Amino acid sequence: MAEIVSKGCERGIPGNIEMPLSVERLPNGNTLIADGGDEAGYGSEVVEVDRIGNIVWHYNEGLRFAHSARRLKNGNTLITDTTNNRLLEVTPEKKIVMNSDDWGGGTGKLSDGSHLHYPNDAYELEDGTFLVTDRNNDRCIRVDRKGKVLWSFEGLHHPHNASPLPNGNILICDSDANRVLEIDPKTKKVVWSYGDGSTETLWWPRGVLRLANGNTLITDSKNHRILEVSPEGEVVWQFQTEHVDKFYIAYATSEDTFLISCTDGHHQVIEVDRTGNIVWLFRNYRRPFPIYRRLTNGFFTEVDPSGVPKHWVLATRLSEGGGKVIWDTNNRPRPCPGLEYDRPGALFLQQSIAVTPGATYRIGYEIKTVDVKGVACMLMDFFDALGGSLFHVITEMPSGQYLSGTNDWVSDIFEVRVPPRATYAELRLFINDKGKVFVRNVMMQRI
Amino acid sequence: MPIDKVISEKRKLQCAKLVDLSKKVVREAFEKFKHEELAIAWTGGKDSTLTLWIIKQVCDEKGLKLPKTMLIGEGDEFEEIHEFVERIRKEWEVPLEICRNEDVLKAANYQLGAIVRVKDLNERNREELKRIGFEGEEFSFEPESFVGNHLMKTVVFNEFIERNNIKGVFQGLRWDEHPARYNDEYFEHRPGEYLVPEHTRIRPILHFTEKDLWDTYAAFGIPYCVLYERGYRSLGAKSTTRKTSDIPAWKQDLENTWERVGRFQDKEKAMERLRKLGYM
Repeated sequence: MAEIVSKGCERGIPGNIEMPLSVERLPNGNTLIADGGDEAGYGSEVVEVDRIGNIVWHYNEGLRFAHSARRLKNGNTLITDTTNNRLLEVTPEKKIVMNSDDWGGGTGKLSDGSHLHYPNDAYELEDGTFLVTDRNNDRCIRVDRKGKVLWSFEGLHHPHNASPLPNGNILICDSDANRVLEIDPKTKKVVWSYGDGSTETLWWPRGVLRLANGNTLITDSKNHRILEVSPEGEVVWQFQTEHVDKFYIAYATSEDTFLISCTDGHHQVIEVDRTGNIVWLFRNYRRPFPIYRRLTNGFFTEVDPSGVPKHWVLATRLSEGGGKVIWDTNNRPRPCPGLEYDRPGALFLQQSIAVTPGATYRIGYEIKTVDVKGVACMLMDFFDALGGSLFHVITEMPSGQYLSGTNDWVSDIFEVRVPPRATYAELRLFINDKGKVFVRNVMMQRI
Repeated sequence: MPIDKVISEKRKLQCAKLVDLSKKVVREAFEKFKHEELAIAWTGGKDSTLTLWIIKQVCDEKGLKLPKTMLIGEGDEFEEIHEFVERIRKEWEVPLEICRNEDVLKAANYQLGAIVRVKDLNERNREELKRIGFEGEEFSFEPESFVGNHLMKTVVFNEFIERNNIKGVFQGLRWDEHPARYNDEYFEHRPGEYLVPEHTRIRPILHFTEKDLWDTYAAFGIPYCVLYERGYRSLGAKSTTRKTSDIPAWKQDLENTWERVGRFQDKEKAMERLRKLGYM
């Protein structure tokens, strides 16, 4: 019988900020936040918050994992609706006045015949055109409001953020290459860069901007820190928290403070001064999924009408629009579930379970894969009291065997010791890239 | 036969220091619990035999007999381990009880891989299956599977401590044997719950690395099971344990490979693919 320790709230409630991604301070002192939504793909929205935390404006219609929102000179808001592969311009009355889906005669195509692919950020330039970081096309482009490509810089590695400089140059986060670049748009030459490619220097830089003092502020996301780097490449200031804070982007305010989005780290936006003191914080997060007393429906005897095993969550937030639950109907004595996936992101089937810090648990199950190009496995993540993961990277998470290619049923067992600050665990069936993975007879026991 | 490895005087001192640390844990356990409340979990493997040897040193000092010792027979055991255990039992006067889940063995007709029907099991075993979330009607009898491991080891362990009213159990776990062990403590209190009696797990040799362990065997001439000489590095069930090499365990590359070889090496290769993921 399912026993729930902590109920989750309704999914997609407006104003529930599950994963703050972009953040900027508006001239009126308010803060504009793009929220990527929850792990199941609900609740992505854009909110404007005043100094005392009131939500004074929000937009959430049809957004999927929106990564950025920028207030334009005309008062409208420019949104990168990332998983929907589109760019929107929305009026304060929530009317869409530009939708990149309308480009190319309704095909969504740009003038060069391409389509935006997982756009992550967009800025308005002085002339009213947009600088767009077109992540999965590995490029940064300048487009007008009709989709005409005016400039393009290609050959990047999943860039996430680009911003214009007063001298006309462009700063780009070349994230997968672990570096940031300053480009002269005319010559397309790299005139400055930081990051030697090693993860020690920069690991998946997600945001970059040039400060008034000439230094460069970099969100070194997978190192969970913000760096201020001098033109000579010296780190002159940095900010980190004691917990795993998944910083996504930092914005410099006119008061010499930095607004930082902390994604699903602690589901908050913080404003920090140069002493590292947090001077403002916005968090309005309630966990949407339930936490079970123990692993429930591990033999998948119950199925939701949606086709997902009951008490399990299909987590699609990082799946870039692909992936689904499938069932092996030939399995005996009853069908068992699996995940089918077809692109480079990640897909999970997961359940949250209450655990005791310091205790050791053993997890056992059988797993099978078909043509997995990346990796499939069962793994376990742990979360602190503010709903933040206790692990810096996925590879630190306790897991069973990592499987690639095709494997017939494998019996697998792994053990985990619950970290001291954990409040609950998330047991996940995981797959990235193409392929199928099936699981059955999942059990978990304190030992 | 003693281990054919030359141990320098300096190294011998280092090993003696490690043994002293373990003895301290054992002495503390003797202070915390009455002698009859203590038990030793022994498998005949290198870790629990070292633990047993260290406890014996402390008992000899104090003029005590060894505490009650359990050896769990999982139903798929090496003859060589039995021979070794029998020899040591006599030499060290170990008050040994060999414990098995006879109900499951009978239902499996003492055959590995046999199908066990849940309804053929006694009430306790059926309750134990429910407790671990097993919802099937039958399972294949494999002692190293999740279900097999629980019924053949955990249940037998819990029944032993319940039957003998044990409060503290010595275990031969080490920090470096498995990533899940990194944060284990010398004394871990396990609160009681349904089917699990309250007890404390005592782990005197946590700080020994695999190399420390073999050097200590060599330095003090501690007896060991002959399988280690033949290249086995870690002993589990007979049908699933493989030799890692043809050279003795202590001559293998202990520091750069995992003692439970196989899964961790594959894992390293897959790490890179995982790291390439987006924001995680």
